[in-house]
Amino acid sequence: MLHRISPLLSLLALLATWEGLVRLAHIPHYTLPAPSLVVQTLFANFTSLAGSWWFTIKITFGALILAIVGGVWIASMFALSRRLEHALFPIAVVLQVTPVVAIAPLILIYVASTTAALLLCAWIVAFFPILSNTVLGLRAADPNLRDLFRLYRATPWQRLRLLLVPSALPYFIAGLKISGGLSLIGAVTAEMVAGAAGRETGLASRILEASFRTDTPKMFAALLLLVITGVAIFWTFNALSRVLLGRWHASEKP
Amino acid sequence: MNPNRRIAVINALGLACAFASTAALAQDKVVFATNWKAQAAHGGFYQAVADGTYKKYGLDVTIQQGGPQVNNRPLLPAGRIDFLMTGNLLHSFDNVKNGVPTVVVAAMFQKDPQALIAHPGQGYETFESLKKAPVALIAKDGQFSWWQWLKVTHGFKDEALKPYNYNLGPFLATPKAIQQGYSVAEPIYVEKQGKFKPVVHLLADHGFSTYSTLIEARAETVKNKPDFVQRFVDASTVGWVNYLYGERTAANAMMMKDNPEMTLDEVETSVALMKQQGVVDSGESLKNGIGAMSEARVKDFYEQMVKAGLYKPGEVDLARVATYQFVNKHVGADLKAKLAK
Amino acid sequence: MPGRPLISLQRVDKRFPTGVVALQGIDLQVAEREFVSLLGPSGCGKSTVLRLLAGLERASAGVIDSPAASAARTADTAFVFQDATLMPWATVFDNVRLPLRLAGETRAACDTRVRDVLHLVGLAGFENAYPAELSGGMRMRASIARALITRPRVMLMDEPFAALDEFTRHKLNDDLLACWQTQQFAALFVTHSVLESVFLSQRVLVMGSRQGRIVAEVRIDEPYPRSAAFRSSPSYLAACAELTAALAELHAPIDQVVR
Repeated sequence: MLHRISPLLSLLALLATWEGLVRLAHIPHYTLPAPSLVVQTLFANFTSLAGSWWFTIKITFGALILAIVGGVWIASMFALSRRLEHALFPIAVVLQVTPVVAIAPLILIYVASTTAALLLCAWIVAFFPILSNTVLGLRAADPNLRDLFRLYRATPWQRLRLLLVPSALPYFIAGLKISGGLSLIGAVTAEMVAGAAGRETGLASRILEASFRTDTPKMFAALLLLVITGVAIFWTFNALSRVLLGRWHASEKP
Repeated sequence: MNPNRRIAVINALGLACAFASTAALAQDKVVFATNWKAQAAHGGFYQAVADGTYKKYGLDVTIQQGGPQVNNRPLLPAGRIDFLMTGNLLHSFDNVKNGVPTVVVAAMFQKDPQALIAHPGQGYETFESLKKAPVALIAKDGQFSWWQWLKVTHGFKDEALKPYNYNLGPFLATPKAIQQGYSVAEPIYVEKQGKFKPVVHLLADHGFSTYSTLIEARAETVKNKPDFVQRFVDASTVGWVNYLYGERTAANAMMMKDNPEMTLDEVETSVALMKQQGVVDSGESLKNGIGAMSEARVKDFYEQMVKAGLYKPGEVDLARVATYQFVNKHVGADLKAKLAK
Repeated sequence: MPGRPLISLQRVDKRFPTGVVALQGIDLQVAEREFVSLLGPSGCGKSTVLRLLAGLERASAGVIDSPAASAARTADTAFVFQDATLMPWATVFDNVRLPLRLAGETRAACDTRVRDVLHLVGLAGFENAYPAELSGGMRMRASIARALITRPRVMLMDEPFAALDEFTRHKLNDDLLACWQTQQFAALFVTHSVLESVFLSQRVLVMGSRQGRIVAEVRIDEPYPRSAAFRSSPSYLAACAELTAALAELHAPIDQVVR
């Protein structure tokens, strides 16, 4: 029982320390607001923050879905043709290492729709782990199983469906866990650059706005929502991994 | 006492006197943070450092530049700097609204040089036409302050908004784009890089009546060390008089050292524009001296911003926004008269 | 009683692109219903023989006569690897039914046959278990069940029991022979264990580590079913001694890894 609630206990201890520190040291609210003030501010502004929260969630999951589709599709191409992989992989690497915070301003200028630009920026950040892990996974099929499929005259489609895809699944899930968090980071980074641009704005933009208007408690309130989102994403994909791999993959064995 | 001993004692006494007198003229250390990299719009302050005016007022001033990704504003309430330069009254309103204990002590610019610039011949000759631009390049600071006013009062739309990262490239490359700038700075750079004279629309001409280049201090500094604040305000005012009307070579050299990308030519053109547009010295300052502020104008500006939906009526206690005790004293008037001859 | 030759290699060479010569002019054949072991030290080319017969490699020279190596639509051949080679994401049931599924049969149609063969190998009741939940011996039984599900005419086995403990191995030896007697497939069983080869087979073919062909053959005439008592009988021990001697003569250090 203690084992299960220990993360909660340590979190509560941290919050209590924070609250105590602010009160005892009389830290002004515009420097570091106490947790109680942050929660108060969150409830006071919830309707307006909720809209931005929803927008950030939309961008995050939109980018993630596109990353899955794009990553898996490109990975399949690469798995089929080593020559193609050799030719195009460097481009994928370049995309991955270029800091999105540097290219986001350019993308925001040249892509007409701000929403599309945000999706693109978040996608760039999120797709690479799915791509590289899925390529690895598609190649990871047990060679003996491959031989077995050949022996029983399996068609390429049967091989893909019954051997390659299941073999790749643990690797894909590992990539997905990483990309889930990255698509949030990508969305937030892109929003930070975009600021107030566009018809709708996300949580990062609200954080910026609050910081520019010296409204530190509101900044923290928006940040809190972001943190909750990140944690939720983490938990969701961990649960998904347990469901899909729990019975058979070493990574999910206790 | 033998002669050598006497000499030694006299020397010692002399040294002691020298130390004592230096102590009497001890310089107060001041850190003053600006809101951008050194430019002509900061000239008066650099002048006061370069020509020793601050020293004469007993202040050892260090100017800390701002810049594209630098936000100096939190440093003031945190106690890391003594005075802060801000661009408009909106920042002060926000601070008071959020309980941040800072206060405006002087307004160096009577007119905010914040402007929107556009390509000529694209149909942006009138201010009203600007809101139809497909791309408006506005930086973060503006996005969350006067852009909001432009939206409500003049019908600009967020769909056109794109982040401006202090790179002229996107504006120069897109004829239909408009972007923000200081009327005394960006047009000079645009003409240099883009080889055309942009259309300039000053926000101040369309209702954005805030003072600019304000000096902010902590409320406790004003309460506990008013003489210190007064000296800084006065010295800065004198600095501006000298910079605009007197010999500014040293100040320019100092600014160009802080900001190597700026050329002398650009600085001088900017100064000319400042004088021509009456940015620093016009209206109230002609009567009451550079740095002049009036309660009525602050109140009026606040009410306009309330109308624009940026604040709720009564949300900001105007009494805490600015203090008028340090300005409107004709500081530098004689000097100006002398230089103008 | 063994019938006519079913699979054979005739003067087959196998050279790998790395330059390694695994087989040189090897001749061997296995007749219908015959149980033959291929005995030799690691790296002597035994696995290459199996892979050629399974159609997984092509010969550099010579003739391979085997349904799996031909263009025939159905291989009629099963392969059991040293590693159980089960799909870890599928249940025992789905693993065993794989060959039928690849041939296009539905789950429902296979049901009885899968259950029967699982019963045959002693895994009744484990249909819905995952490979990760089984012991090594049970996984190997599942692998054999999968091999048997198509009623193959040829069973190629590559040291399937090498990774198991002695007790399990003996049990599986017995069970394998029982299956063979019922199903009557031709078996080519690769092993490096003299004891195992003698217990299981009618003929043991010996390969040396550098010759790349059969260098000795020993017939084991003991009738089936063979009991545990056979393992201590004079004829068993004599055959083991003969084979051990044959191997010792050919012993040479291994400097290449040959499949």
